[in-house]
Amino acid sequence: MSLSNLLNDWTRYRQGIEEGGFHDYEHIFGMAIDLNKCIGCNACSIACYAENNLAVVGEEKFAKDQGMHWLRIERYWDEPDLGADDQEFQEHGASFLPMMCQQCNAATCEPVCPVAATYHTPDGLNAQVYNRCIGSRYCSNNCPYRLRYFNFYSYYETSWPAPLDQQLNPDLSVRDKGVMEKCTFCIQRIRVAKDTAQREERELVDGEFTTACAQTCPTSAIQFGDLQDPNSKVSQLWKQYQVKLGTTEQSKQNKELRGYRVFESLNTEPCVMYLDRVREV
Amino acid sequence: MSESRIFLSSEANTHRSGGLPRVMWMILLAFAVMLPMVVNAADAIPPKGTYDGKDVLQPIEFPHDTHAKVNQINCMYCHTYARRSKVAGIPPTSKCMGCHTVIATDKPRIKKLTEYWEKGEPPKWKKVHDVPDFVHFTHEKHLRRFVFNADLPVENVSEVCGFCHGDVKNMTVANKRKPLNMGFCVRCHEANGGPSDCWKCHK
Repeated sequence: MSLSNLLNDWTRYRQGIEEGGFHDYEHIFGMAIDLNKCIGCNACSIACYAENNLAVVGEEKFAKDQGMHWLRIERYWDEPDLGADDQEFQEHGASFLPMMCQQCNAATCEPVCPVAATYHTPDGLNAQVYNRCIGSRYCSNNCPYRLRYFNFYSYYETSWPAPLDQQLNPDLSVRDKGVMEKCTFCIQRIRVAKDTAQREERELVDGEFTTACAQTCPTSAIQFGDLQDPNSKVSQLWKQYQVKLGTTEQSKQNKELRGYRVFESLNTEPCVMYLDRVREV
Repeated sequence: MSESRIFLSSEANTHRSGGLPRVMWMILLAFAVMLPMVVNAADAIPPKGTYDGKDVLQPIEFPHDTHAKVNQINCMYCHTYARRSKVAGIPPTSKCMGCHTVIATDKPRIKKLTEYWEKGEPPKWKKVHDVPDFVHFTHEKHLRRFVFNADLPVENVSEVCGFCHGDVKNMTVANKRKPLNMGFCVRCHEANGGPSDCWKCHK
C-alpha cells in the first residue's frame, strides 16, 4: 500500500456520498414520510410488531420506557407560547412523527460497538447481528434518536402464550435477554426480493419490496425504496423536495419546499426524509 | 467465392443472412473465452470438518441407502423444494404412497407407513440438520452455485448435498455428520468465494 493510495482512500472517506464517498453501496435504502398525510393511527407500529416478532412487554414495563416498539409515533403539541398563532394547527392538536431507525450512513452507533455486532451493510443499512451482540448498550446510548431497544428480560417466555407463538415470523429470530434490537427496514423482505431478482437474473425493481409499515399505512404517508435507483418513488420524492444525502444542512432553492431529515446537523446522514414545514420557534 | 464476399461485405447490413455467421462466431468466441471461467463442481472446494451425531429415533426407520444407493433415486425427487426454496422439504406421505401402494407393500416399515396414510396423519419426522434460528440458509442458492451454474449433471447432485449432509447414501436414518457451525460455513465461503457480509446469513 502506497502512501498516495492511503491518502486517496482517506480523502474519499472524508467526502460525502454526492462526491463519490468511500462506501460503494449496492443500494441505499431510504424512506420518505409525508407528515401531512400521517394521521397518527399507529397502524405502522402494529404492523411492525407483527412482522418483526416484537415483544409485548406489558403496561408496567412500557411505562418504564422499556417498550420494544421499533417504530413509535411521537406526538407533538403546539404550545401557545411557542409562537403558534396558527389557529388551524391548534385546533387539530397533536402533530405526529413516525420514528424508526434512520439507517444513518454515518451511524453513531456503529463505531462504539465493542464486538462489531452493528455495522454497515453494502445495502446502506445499519445492521444489527443479534447473535453477536453482548448487550453492552453503548450503541443505544450513542444513538441521538433513541431508536435502539434493549431486551431487559426474556420476553419470549410471556409475550406469546401458547397459540400466539404460531404467528411468529420465521424469517427473523426471536431475540433473547441481553440483546439490542432495532428497525431493520424489514431486511427479511428485502432479502426475499433480492433472492428472487438474483434467481431471475435481473435488477431489483422498485415496488416489489416494501416494509411492513409502508405497506400498512392507510394514507401511504410512508414510501420506501432504493435511493440509488433514480426512478424509484423515494428518490423521485427526495429530488422533488430537494433533500440530499451527504450534507448537514439542506439548501433549497425554494424555501417554501417541505422536507428535512431529523438531526442532520449532527452529520449522522439519516436515510429517512420527513415532509413537513420546518417552523422556527 | 461468392459466399466469402457476402461474408466480407455484410458489415454494413448485419440484418441480412450473410451477417449472421459473424455474429454467431463472436458469440461462440465469447463462450470459448468464458468456458474456463465457469466454475464447475470439480472446482468446488468441499467444506472440511466432521461431527459425530447421535442416532435419531424417527417414527419410521427410513432407509436412505435403499432409496438413494440401491435404487438410485435423486435426492431432489423427494426433497423437491431444495432447488427453488430455502428449505429442502420433507416429502408428504402422499409422495411415499405414490410408489409404496405397489412397491414393497409387505415390508414392516411400509405397513407402518400405510397405517399413517390410512389414518391421515403424517409421521412426525424429527429434524436432524437443524441450524439455529438466527441463521438464514438457502438450499436454492447453494444448489445454483454448485449444481445448476456449475455444469454438474443433476444426477450427481448428491455430491453437493454431501458437502453438508455427509454420505447419506450409506446411512439408513440420516445422521448429522458435519458440524454445521459458523466456522464450517465461513471456511467454505472463503474457499469458494461466498459472501462474507454478516447479514447475508444472520437474521
